[in-house]
Amino acid sequence: MIEFDHVSRTYGPKPAVTDLSLRIPRGELFALLGPNGAGKTTTIKMLVGLLRPSRGAVRICGHDLVKETRAAHLHTGYVPDEPTLYDKLTGREFLWFIADMFGMPRSLAAEKIGREIDHFELADCADDLAESYSLGMRQRLVFAAALLHDPDVLVLDEPMVGLDPRSVRIVKDLLRSLTRDGMTVFMSTHTLAMAEELADRVGIMVRGTLRFLGTIAELRDQMATDSTSLENLYLELTNVPPAASIGSSSVEPTGTR
Amino acid sequence: MNGTDGRHGESCRLIAVEAESRVFSRLRATIAWQTLRSMVSGARLRLALVVLLSAVFWGLLYGLFFEGFSFLDSIHAEVISLVFNAFFSSLMVMLVFSTGILLYGNMYCSPEARLLLTLPVRAEAIFAHKFIDAMWFSSWGFILLGSPMLVAYGIVRGAPWTYYLLLLPFMLSFAMIPAAVGGVLCMTFVAWLGQLRVHALALLLGVVAAGAVWLGWSLLGSAAAGGVTAEWFDTVITRLSIAEQKFLPSWWLSSGLIEAARWREQPEARFASLSEAVKFLAVLVSNGMLLYLLARRLAGSTYRLGFSQLVGEMPARRQRRIAWFDEALSAAGTARGRPMRLLLVKDLRLFRRDISQWSQFAIFFGLLGFYFFNLRSFHYNLAYASMISFLNLAVAGLILSTFTTRFVYPMISLEGRRFWILGLLPVHRDQIVWSKFLFSFIGGVLPCCGLLCLSDSMLGISFALLCVHEICGVVLCLGLSGIAVGLGAWMPDLREPSPAKIAAGFGGTLCLVLSSLFIVGVVTVAAIPTYLAMAGEAFGGAGPSPTGLFGLASGPLGTAISLLIVAILGAIATCVPLQLGLRAFRWLEP
Repeated sequence: MIEFDHVSRTYGPKPAVTDLSLRIPRGELFALLGPNGAGKTTTIKMLVGLLRPSRGAVRICGHDLVKETRAAHLHTGYVPDEPTLYDKLTGREFLWFIADMFGMPRSLAAEKIGREIDHFELADCADDLAESYSLGMRQRLVFAAALLHDPDVLVLDEPMVGLDPRSVRIVKDLLRSLTRDGMTVFMSTHTLAMAEELADRVGIMVRGTLRFLGTIAELRDQMATDSTSLENLYLELTNVPPAASIGSSSVEPTGTR
Repeated sequence: MNGTDGRHGESCRLIAVEAESRVFSRLRATIAWQTLRSMVSGARLRLALVVLLSAVFWGLLYGLFFEGFSFLDSIHAEVISLVFNAFFSSLMVMLVFSTGILLYGNMYCSPEARLLLTLPVRAEAIFAHKFIDAMWFSSWGFILLGSPMLVAYGIVRGAPWTYYLLLLPFMLSFAMIPAAVGGVLCMTFVAWLGQLRVHALALLLGVVAAGAVWLGWSLLGSAAAGGVTAEWFDTVITRLSIAEQKFLPSWWLSSGLIEAARWREQPEARFASLSEAVKFLAVLVSNGMLLYLLARRLAGSTYRLGFSQLVGEMPARRQRRIAWFDEALSAAGTARGRPMRLLLVKDLRLFRRDISQWSQFAIFFGLLGFYFFNLRSFHYNLAYASMISFLNLAVAGLILSTFTTRFVYPMISLEGRRFWILGLLPVHRDQIVWSKFLFSFIGGVLPCCGLLCLSDSMLGISFALLCVHEICGVVLCLGLSGIAVGLGAWMPDLREPSPAKIAAGFGGTLCLVLSSLFIVGVVTVAAIPTYLAMAGEAFGGAGPSPTGLFGLASGPLGTAISLLIVAILGAIATCVPLQLGLRAFRWLEP
């Protein structure tokens, strides 16, 4: 479903992502972790086609993001870290706009818009202008828009920011159900507890390089530490001395292929 | 390419070009309708004022152009073609730059672009959507300024109804050409010139400015020897005819409009004239469409690439060369005034690092300085020089008012998203407003008074009158800063991130109108004693007695009274809006 094939990206002379190779199969929820500046956002932007790789290729459902951008986008739903809406559209009008962009037949679009409005409990505000929405409501509407066309791949960048506990629960339940139905979820997050709770596999990036790839259990095995909390493992893995030691670290990205 | 494989089955598919256009048209129509509805339901008075002010502005322009065309029609009808060509060719250059800059912001820097680029939509369709937006924003000034001019021309020339019917198609098809060129330049700079695009843009602007300076020099310089004479006028006409090039869209537009209006003079050739006009319209439309298609094609191949390159660029390194100035300003003065100085330093840094602000400031005042510097080229008598000096005072004020409206008025609104920082600082909210006022006043008074000094010395104005102008300059800077900062704090738009849109709103329009009225008031009051003195000299012995009321009004006492009224006007313009702004800002809930 998602494939990073020896992907590198530089900002000027500075490498942001270096030789990333990663395959995420259908129905998997993958969480990308890493400290600020590790390259998570660059990876996400390449995955949704906003950035082009300097080297390598990113594919979604076999479609190359550079060569077949639209076809790849047709399979993708994206929830950015900062929800972007049209302030002078109502929530319902925004969903119609998205449905039209994805070429959904009118009757089907009406049905799915109703479904997402119910899922994300937007019925009370669906006909209000988006300029009156709180951050949480905006985020829920963006979720609804991303799921409207039943994408094969859902890309989430810090998805829980701005959501209240009830909305967080709704999203978690929905993600579990969607991955059971075969949707692939690629999620970037700082919330370790959520990654531990939801993710089938996690990837930990440090300075543009994938330092670990696998399940939480594999991480614990590999770190060979007494610590049981993901937070301690994460901090131990990402707390590396500058530059030189990255390549010589004892931790190899096990799942990188 | 199969767009329906995967788990979504038949629920979605790639849509055709026409369908994309329809979706974007529907989007624009819905947003326009919702905006209008919000304005009608929530800001009826504001909407009415905007409509009224626009109508008054339109009417005034119409009257002005009607008089101008009537005068030209009576003496030298052929000059109109020249005026049209010069006006439309200058406008074309401005539209290229304004549309290019707007497209750059809309296509590469807006959150909407980031949303659209993640949807299965063609890059060409996004460009087309943004192109219509940019064309509308950059052309509304042309429509507002051009329509009264062209209607006045039609009425003076006794044009048939078909002329008025063709006006809008002519204007729109013409505007499309520079807009498409601006789009091509914008995408080319971003996609292929990378980090060099700022230099390339500066070079292009430099070439255009050098061309304008050369033209201005050649037009004005020839008057140096003999003053404004019939020969000089002929020379100017000849040199302006460079704008009458048949390959320029401005010539097609001018010729088409002149043909469409030709009715009264050649009744027998009416149909031929109309055919000619339609032919010119067809040339404009076909070229506009061709250039638009080229720009659209270019968008298809370069937009996503350019966006990716731009997003991936390293942030520019901060220049530390003039940081010493900021540090010196922060450290100077008492500890009590330090918060205010720190706020000033912050605004100064933002100004320095925003190319659109300082470049426009430099261009406006640079051109004004260039014009003032060339005033010595002409020979004037004292009365004429005095008149020009007051006109220069008005021009300096008007330029300053466009700057305060465009950049100072939105300053408080732009604090909206970072209001929590300012709100939590241990400074009184009044200090924030005062710091903006000081920033605007200091930033305006130095170039304004310097330029007035230059203007008066070039014109050979007396020291006393120079002092009057300098006092007026200071009052103008105080009043214009007061109006812009006061209104900005009184009616902030904390949700809008674009300063251009904030300035184009109701508050910005009101700011511009009040600023213009204030400038007219100050300059008129300040000029009265000088003109009474000039009138006294012109009448000579037959005039009113210099010892009577006329003499008093034109003498030192009259000057003192006029300066007192100027000071009162300045105090009102400074204090009233600032008071309103300070009061509103103290209770502002972001």
